[in-house]
Amino acid sequence: MNAESVYARPVVPRIILRPALATLALHALLLAALTMNFTSSEPKVIKARVVPKAINARLVSASELQPKPQPKPVQKPAPKKAAPKPVAKVPPKPAPKPAPKVAPKVEAKPEPKPEPKQEPRITDEELAAIARQDLARVISQEDEALEATATAEEMANSYAALIQQTVIGYWSRPPSARNGMEVELRLQLVPTGEIVSVQVVRSSGNAAFDRSAMNAVEKAGSFPELRNLPPDEFERTFRRFRLLFRPEDLRY
Amino acid sequence: MEEQLSLLELVLGASFTVQLVMGILLAASMLSWYMIVQRFIYLRNAKEEAYDFEERFWSGIDLAQLYREGSEKTADGHAILGMESIFRAGFKEFSRLAQQSEMDSEAIVEGARRAMRVAMLREEERLERHLAFLASVGSTSPYIGLFGTVWGIMHSFRGLANATQATLATVAPGISEALVATAMGLFAAIPAVLAYNRFAAKVEVFSNRYDTFGDEFSSILYRQAYALRAKERKAG
Repeated sequence: MNAESVYARPVVPRIILRPALATLALHALLLAALTMNFTSSEPKVIKARVVPKAINARLVSASELQPKPQPKPVQKPAPKKAAPKPVAKVPPKPAPKPAPKVAPKVEAKPEPKPEPKQEPRITDEELAAIARQDLARVISQEDEALEATATAEEMANSYAALIQQTVIGYWSRPPSARNGMEVELRLQLVPTGEIVSVQVVRSSGNAAFDRSAMNAVEKAGSFPELRNLPPDEFERTFRRFRLLFRPEDLRY
Repeated sequence: MEEQLSLLELVLGASFTVQLVMGILLAASMLSWYMIVQRFIYLRNAKEEAYDFEERFWSGIDLAQLYREGSEKTADGHAILGMESIFRAGFKEFSRLAQQSEMDSEAIVEGARRAMRVAMLREEERLERHLAFLASVGSTSPYIGLFGTVWGIMHSFRGLANATQATLATVAPGISEALVATAMGLFAAIPAVLAYNRFAAKVEVFSNRYDTFGDEFSSILYRQAYALRAKERKAG
């Protein structure tokens, strides 16, 4: 009878649209959340944060890789200090090696520069040593002053700047180096500040250029100042990190 | 930058078998979620309708009037679900049998009960639709995912055999990509199992309520049939 047929028929308002939409939305959301989390968690592990972005040593325009809110206090002084830099750099220029220095790292750097200004004849090593001493001194002063307020992040930044400065001091680029070349190294340190391994993570494509970056790191050898860093901060930031070399001050 | 593996790269870089497994699991997950939401809405509607109908049924309304209202609803294109369809099946059979004077009251109620049982079974079948699928997604997709993982790991270790210098970095991406398959399997399975258990419990509740309603209604019908026949006997 017709009663039978009514019961056998599928339910008339079939429920299709809402479940389908809900399913699609859920999966899309989940995928988005997962991919974002997945990639953002990776850099932390590898300390991409420390990756120094290339800086044009000439113009001393420091551009940082990460838009970290923390570094602000440190960043502000940077532009001011930047001013002396150009002057500092000029003297080394005649000597081809010191001139091409590229500041891969962060901001604190600028400070050492003023010193070389007075003695243009200074050699690479001396320059680096002076820069290092100076920075270490400044940093230790800052440490005391900032102890109450400085975050671990800021400390890490200033040490990153020190490392950057030191490495730049030892970096002599081959003639084939060009603006915009980039080589990324991965460094592994032990808590005493010694470098235990250097690897090219991303090559510039120019073997000589890559080698010059490796040499710079190897010459630097160690960063004893890192011993002052609290162990957990060291583990978090400097156990493994990346260093990006990119000259921007070349003429071509 | 071998370390910056995004999830997407992992999936795209996987071997064909693993990708196939992932595709199956994605489809299973989407289908099972579709069914979860669909069942959720259906069961919610069924619950509301059962409440509404019970309220009207026990409000003292004339049963013939209730039946007519349902017929109007059907004519309007509304589907009759749950308790109301049980009521309609029983009542229709009852009125049909009551018209035949040779049937005694026992036979009338027996016929109505049978009709109600059939309607009840249909309703239960409707409630349970798709639940079997959820159960099989819940029980098999971890295994499918595991298969993908094992296959992917086999693959990456075979690659290791050819490499002269074996480091963790040679196998790690392969293993990572293989493990995505297990994660997807679990992702598909967990909601499916939870939903299956929940819905199965709900269906159980519903079928109990339908049973109870069927008993209550047939006692009413029995009373009516007996009164009807007694009147006829007196008249005849």
